[in-house]
Parts: sequence; C-alpha cells; structure tokens
Amino acid sequence: MPDKTLPRTDVVIIGGGWTGLTAAYELAHEGQKCVVLERGDHRHDATSFGAPEEHDELKYALHHTHMMDVKTSTLTFRNNRSQRALPMRRLGSFLPGEGLGGAGIHWNGQIWRPLPSDLEMRSHYESRYGAQFIPENLNVQDWGVTYEELEPHLDFFEKICGAAGYAGNLNGETREGGNVFEGPRSDEYPNPPMKQPIRSTLFGEAAADMGLHPFPLPSANVTQKYENPYGAQLHPCTYCGFCERFGCGYFAKADPIICVYDRIKEHENFEIRFRSTVMRVEKSEDGQTATGVTYIDSDGLEVFQPADVVCMNAYALWNVHLMLVSGLGRPYDPQTGTGTVGRNYAYQTLAGVDVFFDEEIITNPFMGAGALGTVIDDYNGDNFDHSELGFVGGGYVACNQYHGRPISYQPTPEGTPPWGAEWKRAVRENYLHHAGIGVHGSSMATPDNFLDLDPTWTDSFGRPLLRMTFDFPDNDRRMSNYVMERAVEIARNMEHVRSYSSSNRAAEGSGYSIEPYQTTHNTGGAVIGTDPSTSVVNRYGQMWDHHNVFVFGACLFPQNLGYNPTGPLMGLAYWTLDHLKSDYLANPRPLMDA
Amino acid sequence: MGTLFSRRAVLAGLTSGAALSTLPINHAFAALDDKPFYFLTPDEARFLAALCDTLIPEDDFPSASQAGVVDFIDLQLAGPYGKGQFIYMQPPFPSGTPEQGYQVSLIPATFIRQGIAALMEAETGFVDADTEARSSVLTRLSEDDFDLGDLPAKPLFDELWTLTNQGYFADPIYGGNEGYAGWEMVGFPGAHAYYLSFVDKHNVPYPQPPTGINHEPGGDGRIPSGLKPQEV
Ligand SMILES: Cc1cc2nc3c(=O)[nH]c(=O)nc-3n(C[C@H](O)[C@H](O)[C@H](O)COP(=O)(O)OP(=O)(O)OC[C@H]3O[C@@H](n4cnc5c(N)ncnc54)[C@H](O)[C@@H]3O)c2cc1C
Ligand code: SF4
Repeated sequence: MPDKTLPRTDVVIIGGGWTGLTAAYELAHEGQKCVVLERGDHRHDATSFGAPEEHDELKYALHHTHMMDVKTSTLTFRNNRSQRALPMRRLGSFLPGEGLGGAGIHWNGQIWRPLPSDLEMRSHYESRYGAQFIPENLNVQDWGVTYEELEPHLDFFEKICGAAGYAGNLNGETREGGNVFEGPRSDEYPNPPMKQPIRSTLFGEAAADMGLHPFPLPSANVTQKYENPYGAQLHPCTYCGFCERFGCGYFAKADPIICVYDRIKEHENFEIRFRSTVMRVEKSEDGQTATGVTYIDSDGLEVFQPADVVCMNAYALWNVHLMLVSGLGRPYDPQTGTGTVGRNYAYQTLAGVDVFFDEEIITNPFMGAGALGTVIDDYNGDNFDHSELGFVGGGYVACNQYHGRPISYQPTPEGTPPWGAEWKRAVRENYLHHAGIGVHGSSMATPDNFLDLDPTWTDSFGRPLLRMTFDFPDNDRRMSNYVMERAVEIARNMEHVRSYSSSNRAAEGSGYSIEPYQTTHNTGGAVIGTDPSTSVVNRYGQMWDHHNVFVFGACLFPQNLGYNPTGPLMGLAYWTLDHLKSDYLANPRPLMDA
Repeated sequence: MGTLFSRRAVLAGLTSGAALSTLPINHAFAALDDKPFYFLTPDEARFLAALCDTLIPEDDFPSASQAGVVDFIDLQLAGPYGKGQFIYMQPPFPSGTPEQGYQVSLIPATFIRQGIAALMEAETGFVDADTEARSSVLTRLSEDDFDLGDLPAKPLFDELWTLTNQGYFADPIYGGNEGYAGWEMVGFPGAHAYYLSFVDKHNVPYPQPPTGINHEPGGDGRIPSGLKPQEV
C-alpha cells in the first residue's frame, strides 16, 4: 500500500530529459494534464552552469557532478553469460543523466539523422546483397517506420535545437559541401555550420583530395542568435571547450531546459516534481493497461500517481529496467530466444587514429565545442559496397575538436612511457600539435547481448539492479577494423603529419570494457517494430502488451546506427506524439493489431 | 596521529634529490603552510611526495610535489572522493575481469592509507632511493607484479597516478597546479574561455596566460614549446 494516492492525471511522464519534457510540451498543448516525475533536482543554465565556475574539469568532467548518482543506483556488467556480472561501481563507459534536462544538459550536441536504408536495414541488405548476406547470428531488423515518415519530425527537432550545418540533399538535390549520402531534407539547417579549426580543415582537405565527401559536423552548438519554434532564444557558441560533460551557461548548446522546459513551465497543464523516483509502473487487474506509477517523493514517501497514459522517458537503460521491475511486456530469455524486454541491447563501436603534427601546426585544442569538426560519411551505413566485405554496417569518420582540458587531453605518440620524465616531455611537446580522428561505428544486435535483472545487487530502494551482458560481435569487430583502415589512409594523406597510430576498441581479442568512456549511446532492449515476437512496442512507440504505455528513447532502436542517437530518437518521439495527439487520445486502443 | 608538523616542515624534510630541488615547494593555499595536513600523516605525506615526483619529476617545469600535488591529494582524501561518494559500495566484492572495472571494497581514503602503509613496509628505502629505483617499484606496482597482501596492486597504482595527474592539472582551487604549473607547461589558458573570434585563426599561438576559476592572474605568460606569439 502506498503512503499516499494522488488525484488522477491525464498523462504521467517518467523522466525530465529531452524526450520527457518534449512529451510534456506537446501533450500539455493538446489539453492533457501532464505530470513529469524526475528523480534528480531542478537546475537551470542561467543559475547552475555559468562560467568560470562551470569550467571545472575535475568537478564536472571527472567527478561527474551533473550525472547519475552511481552510489545509489547502477547496473551490473559481464561480457558473456558464463561470467558473473559485477556492479559498475563508478561511472565510466557511459554517463547517464540525472536532474532537470537529463543527459541533454551534458551532451555534445552532434545532431544526426538516420539514413533511409538504416531504418529498413534487413529489407535493404537482403534486396541489395541477397537473402543470405546478413550473418545468421545477428538480429538485424527493420524499424517498421520509414525515413519518409520520420523526416518532418527530424526536421522539427533540428529547428528546436537551432542545428548548424549545410544540407547535402535538399529535396532530392545533392549538394557538394554537405553530406551527399543523407536522405532528402525538406529544409536547410536553420543555422550555418560552425567555424573550422586547423586540424579539421587539414582532415577535410586530405579527404576531399582522395575523392571522399567531407562536410562540417551537424551541430546543436548554435552559430548565431536564433529563436526556436517554441520561442526559446539561443546565442552563438563561444567555442569554450567545456561542452560535453558540462552544462552551457552561454545559452548556446541546445538543451531541454532552455529549448523546451522554459517554454512550458508556466503552462496550466504542466507540472514537474523533482526528487521523485519512479519505482514501478502499475498494471490494471487484467494486465492490458497501466493504471499509473508508484514513486518515492522528496520526503521519502511512497506515492501512487494514477494516470490515463504513461510515458516512459527515463533513458534507454532505465526504461528497460522499469519494465523488468514492473513486469511490463515479456522479459527476453536468451536460452529459448523468447520474450522481448531486454532483447537487442546494442552500443557503439569506436576506433580512431591519433595524428601528431610538426611544429608549424598549432591546434589550440582548448578552442573546442561538443559538435565541432569535419566528417565523412562515405563508410557509414550502406553508403559503400559491402558485397566483398563480410560485414554489415559502418561508421562515420570525423576529425573533431571538443576540448583541451588538460587532465583528460594528454595525447602522446606511440611508445611514450605512461608516466615519468619522458612522458612529461611528450605531453608538453604534443599538446598543441595533435588531432584525433574518430571512427563512430554501428552496433548490431545479437542473441547473446541483452539486459535483464541482476540476482545479487540492488539499488538503494532495494530493487534488483539492471544486468548488462555485452561484448562486441565479430561482425562489428570486422566493420570497425575496416573503417579504421580507411581513417588511417586519410591520416596518411594529411599535410604536416609527423607520426600517427591507430586503435580499435573492438579489436580482435579485446573485450568490451565498462571502464573507459566510449559513448552514452546505449540502445535497444525495448525495440520498435511490426512483429510482437521481436519488438516491445509497435511502430507508433506503443507497448504491444499495454496500450496506454508509450516508450521513448534509444531503447527503441532495433540495432544501433553509425550515428549519435538523439536526432533519430527525437524524430521517433515527435512521430509517437503525433499519433498520440491525432489518434490515440480521442480513441484509446492498440494502434496496431498484434 | 602523534605530533602535528606543519606541512611545509614535513615536505622540506625530504632528503631525496628529485623531490627536494631548487624550486620551492608550493601550493595554492600558502596560508596553510603552518597547518598540518587534513588527512595525511607526515610519513604518508613524505612518501606520497616521493611517489608523485617519480611520476611527474622536475624538469623546466615543477615536479608534482613542487606544484602542490600532495596538498591536492590530502584535500581529495579528506573530501567526498576519499569518502567514496562517487562509488557504489554495496557488497559483496568478488573479483572480476579487467573489463568489469574497479571492484575495491574499501573507500578510497582507506584504500590509499592501507596501500601506502603496505608499500612503506615493503619498500622501506623508497623515499630516499634514487629515481631509477623508485621507478622500478612503481613499474612493478602498475603491472600488478607486487604483493600487497589483501590489497590489489594495479588499482592502487591507478588511483595514485590518477590523483597525481589530477593534482598537477586541475584548477588551483583544489590545492595543486600551483602557479598554473601544469597549465603553463602545456599552454592551456584555463577557465575564462571565449574563443569565438579566434578558433578559425589557424596556427596562431594563443597569447593569454592562464587564469583559473578564482581569477588569479597567470604566471609569467610564458608560451610553451618554444612558440613565439605572432600577430593576433
Ligand atoms: C557526454 C555525453 C555526450 C553525448 N553526446 C551526444 C551527441 O553529441 N549527440 C547525440 O545525439 N547524443 C549524445 N548524447 C546522448 C544524449 O544525451 C541522449 O541520447 C539523450 O539525452 C537521451 O534523452 P532521453 O530523454 O532519452 O534521456 P535522458 O536525457 O537521460 O533523460 C532521462 C531522465 O529520466 C530520469 N529518470 C531515470 N529514471 C527515473 C525514474 N525511475 N524516475 C524518475 N526519473 C527518472 C533521469 O534522471 C533523467 O533526467 C550524449 C550523452 C552524453 C552523456
Ligand atoms: S562550446 Fe559552445 S555550445 Fe558548448 S558549452 Fe561552450 S559555448 Fe556552449
């Protein structure tokens, strides 16, 4: 029995990040009383993220002050089922958010769209390369929603962010200087691309010289004064170099607080409760619907909030965790291959090349931004011929300039000792003369990588922790190696290069590690689709098993793209909200037949 | 904890060549010179100074202890980091694979205190040894080739190296990076960051000396790596 049962609300939203606040904005304007429950605190760009106090590498980048409190809740991890999973005792590989704005506060702001073929991955590969092409042990699936359907929503989110870039495909017309591989855009980016520093300029020149197609990384670090469709005012990025892992006190990085929350917080249909952690979603007696959610409020009381509609916006991993502890859907069983909740967990496959320049090149790495750089998409998705390659998927290759924060940015050439006099000299000599070229690759789902509940460890509320079982599939190891070799070719062709070295996180023989930061692009576990035996939600983001539960975030991705997830997942969010508003609310029911 | 020596007296008592040098031992809280450490005992502080200075020795730029790294570590161990505020501490603590990451069952302050004690016992001459001898001890530690009883060697090394590195390069408000030693060395201008009109000026050294969060003006404005400021 809860300590308290509150009056019913139309919609309860779990989580106050990009997806949750956007759902609240759109549904409140549709006349729905929305209650957002956020486990973290209130905070605001104007009062919480101002320089110079915000520019504290130790506090924010390394002690993770804006991020999830791992002391009270974490997950357990193992590479495979024969191991015992152990708690992720400190944040490392990924940095989930907590507090108003979620991870949208400390993101980089690289804003991408999926390729049209990405969304129909199985059909596309089978029709181009034959039915036998996709390796048998990969759960490659179509998304059940097409690029054409998502395009208006992808476009709208770019306008919410004031995205800066140059269209490579405007209404079907290909334009050099943009991403010539992208799907057709209905409109140009709302703002012009970012200025490019020397290192990414040299990368772009070398790539173009090789017949590749470099373009400025699409960015939610805004490049001029801008008002978004909700009326939010954004300002030009200062290239301050305290971007990812930090909040932006300059109102220049699009985030859910300034872009969405400020425009909805006074609305009569909107309410947000902080320090309110949802324990579980409650089901009706027949199990067909959810009745609301139970949460622990800021006074430590257990509160039941009844609602007609439940929106799950707690971040990919924690949406899956909530489903498992609430008994929503059917949990995936890797022994039998049945069940769907926790199935198709995937990640991101990273590799890279470190390039060291001669003294003439002075990079000033501290003049950076989270989405500053030059990129090629020639080896992403199916933009290149896979027929002889023996893998599916790909990745983009980018030369970025995020920051020169001196604890984290200490590039040294291969062979430098890890500490001591020689190390110290190498750090000094190379700090201003280095470039990283990153390979940001896709991640395929397999039957062996999945999420379920841990049998031993609990969070501070006594709930079992989420358990992650993951290692890089062989397909992705091959893909990553192939694209890394292409990045090496570009490095070799760059001017002023003294030496370079490459590395592949998914190299043969090295297991995925939970320690070094890779990306906060955890995907899958509650995937979208048209077949209830391989997806948790239908193509509208509605749970097959509980029709008044709608699911948001990267947990929907059947397999992970070679791109950063927020553009695609916000496209899906607006698509789901569109169907909620235009169809479901007037006539609540399953929007697809199972 | 015995007699409380002032931190200046403790570190000045070092006899080893590398840790005692022509450069003064500095830290951002000069006013603390006469105060004892918050967490460290004098023996621990002396041991840490020798250890940190093996990791970051003096050259044209200060060594770790000269840049206040021991003060930094003292403050960190006394604060939320040392108390385990950033770590999930629920037992049990079985050991796992390297991929499964940090699994130490002690809060960092205790882990490091016990680690230093075990190292001091195993390597009695460490503080007075030469750089080569100290380096070989730390190499063994870092390669997990060191018997510390119940304590895991490599995680201890990783923790100590991380703290040393952080102390050399973190904002001076944390007690290390005295006189912006670390920032001067690489050419990092610090917390006051506004580069809108500079980012696309290619190959031009940035002329401003470092400034930290509390607006302390930068050292001598020296441009590192022999770079000369050009017209900007
Ligand atoms: C360092 C970093 C860099 C990134 N860079 C990029 C990038 O460049 N491009 C890109 O596309 N993506 C990037 N991302 C990913 C991006 O931040 C996420 O995709 C995005 O924020 C996801 O939005 P969300 O609404 O799904 O979840 P979140 O933003 O994580 O919001 C979820 C919210 O739910 C709350 N919550 C969780 N559980 C509960 C509960 N039980 N009860 C109540 N509240 C709960 C959390 O506290 C959180 O505030 C980056 C992420 C990080 C960490
Ligand atoms: S780099 Fe630009 S967008 Fe990022 S935090 Fe700094 S000013 Fe904001």
